[in-house]
Amino acid sequence: MTAALTLSGIGVHFGTSTVLNSVDLTVGPGEWVGLIGPNGAGKTTLLRTVTGAVPFEGSVEISDADVSILKRRQLAQSVALVPQHPVLPPGTRVVDYVLLGRTPHLGEVTGPSRHDLDVVAGVLDSLSLSEFMDRDVTTLSGGELQRVVIARALAQESPILLLDEPTTALDIGKQQAVLELVDRLRRQRTLTVVSAMHDLTIASQFPDRLVMLARGRVVAQGRGEEVLNPKLIRTHYGAEVRILDDGAGGIIVVPLRAQEGTTASDSNATT
Amino acid sequence: MTSDEIRPSRLRWWWFVGALLVLAVAVLVSVMLGAVDLDASSVVASLFDRLPFVDVDSGLSDREEAILWELRMPRVVLGGIVGATLAVAGGSYQGAFRNPLADPYLLGVAAGAGLGATIAIAYGPSIPSTPFGPLPLMAFIGGIAGVAATYAIGYSVRAGRTAVTLILAGVAVASFLTAVQTYLQQRNAETLREVYGWILGRLSTVGWAEVWMVLPYVVVAAGVMLLGARRLDVLSVGDEEAVTLGVDPTRVRLVMVLAATLGTAAVVAVSGLIGFVGIIVPHTVRIIFGTSYRIVLPLSVVLGAAFLILADLLARTIAAPAEIPIGVVTAFFGAPFFAIVLRSSRGLGS
Repeated sequence: MTAALTLSGIGVHFGTSTVLNSVDLTVGPGEWVGLIGPNGAGKTTLLRTVTGAVPFEGSVEISDADVSILKRRQLAQSVALVPQHPVLPPGTRVVDYVLLGRTPHLGEVTGPSRHDLDVVAGVLDSLSLSEFMDRDVTTLSGGELQRVVIARALAQESPILLLDEPTTALDIGKQQAVLELVDRLRRQRTLTVVSAMHDLTIASQFPDRLVMLARGRVVAQGRGEEVLNPKLIRTHYGAEVRILDDGAGGIIVVPLRAQEGTTASDSNATT
Repeated sequence: MTSDEIRPSRLRWWWFVGALLVLAVAVLVSVMLGAVDLDASSVVASLFDRLPFVDVDSGLSDREEAILWELRMPRVVLGGIVGATLAVAGGSYQGAFRNPLADPYLLGVAAGAGLGATIAIAYGPSIPSTPFGPLPLMAFIGGIAGVAATYAIGYSVRAGRTAVTLILAGVAVASFLTAVQTYLQQRNAETLREVYGWILGRLSTVGWAEVWMVLPYVVVAAGVMLLGARRLDVLSVGDEEAVTLGVDPTRVRLVMVLAATLGTAAVVAVSGLIGFVGIIVPHTVRIIFGTSYRIVLPLSVVLGAAFLILADLLARTIAAPAEIPIGVVTAFFGAPFFAIVLRSSRGLGS
């Protein structure tokens, strides 16, 4: 089966520092891949590479088409991004913000067609955002805002959805709600999802596969229980953790406090 | 929910018609009032008489017809063109740089035009200012050169081409050009008064020739800006997100800045430096009607024209027979007006 997204030998350099180094990644259609790794590992940069926001070496292919030959509009019709810190223009209504997602489908000067408005109406409905349609985006709560930003990405009708730490700053209930929503939508719409994730327990529960990055390289990938082990986490996060079975086939990653007189990395981890 | 229930922000026709009515009233009042007051119905009749296939007796004497058509009307029309251009260019700069304080004089346009005008006045042939004379020509070249220098410096920054680096480059270029201009003024003190008069802005010397001179530049520039309004809305979410929506922010910014600068340089060449219009008109539209550039830019064209026509009316009548520089009027009356609009608004969000 043709991969939805194939990254080969990706290297990204900012000045003299190398942010990504020879990263290879293949994501199947409808698959959800979670990118994990410590701060500065290159998770966000990898997502930015796919959107064409940073210059890179290597190749990115979407359904076997090299993105270097795609026009910006074509790329935006294939890949949508939910940024970690979206820019919210003051005074912009939710409906106008979500309608921005139709930009790759509009002509240079033509306005939205009935079909574009239908798509926006459908997205607002499916994310229970109809009642917020006329609200200023800067007045929304964290959970509402996250749904609005996801709505804009879904309005792009792109088969690949990139999420950059989509639940940062949300409480545990909102985190769960947003990720369940993503999971439901990707099944309904057969979306391919790649998400950078911070919380390792949550990362183990939603994506089909985890890819751990460290210092710009892929250091491990596989199912949650294969990647999330104390040794790897100690090596790359510098953290001592205990991995627990949640009793429902999932795992829980628990950070351990350092014992008196020792540092976190001196203490023993238990599985 | 259906698409019929989706009501995205857009320019409502009755807003535009209302703005046109404001402009029509501004034009009518402005051509009626002056040293010789003209009757409203006669002015309207004379206006209709100029239409093809219409023959109406306005009742105006030949002298009054001359005052209306050779003195006041070209001045009013040029005032409208200048105001419309400065306002739409201000809105475009604010969108292109995502900076509410950006105005047509950013990026070294005004400083370059000021230096060009100073050189023309100080060293050019001492002939009266004409539409194609050295003063407007040098002001135009200076304005364009100022922006070119800003872009060259802003884009040579190794860290990346961002809106902020361009604005900082504009500040540096403007400071340098202003310093050169001040030095030239010091060296040519006898021309100080004329340079100063130009810097404060003036519409007093215009005729139809100036109108025809600036019109092609302004029509092209305003057309490009209005067609780019949707792209400016996309830019409002930042360069990186604009890229993910299929828009090239660098290209959009370049096109919009070039169009805004072309229009600004053209009108500055004939009117001198008239400040504040590019800030208050787009912001007033934004506060009252909405923040989408598809609303802000078209209404700024119409209301910018009305604003400057009324400002010019005050400039030539408030201390008649003397005239106050129009730049003084736009700031003196514009600033408190804007403060009132700002205070009475519910704000533009947090």
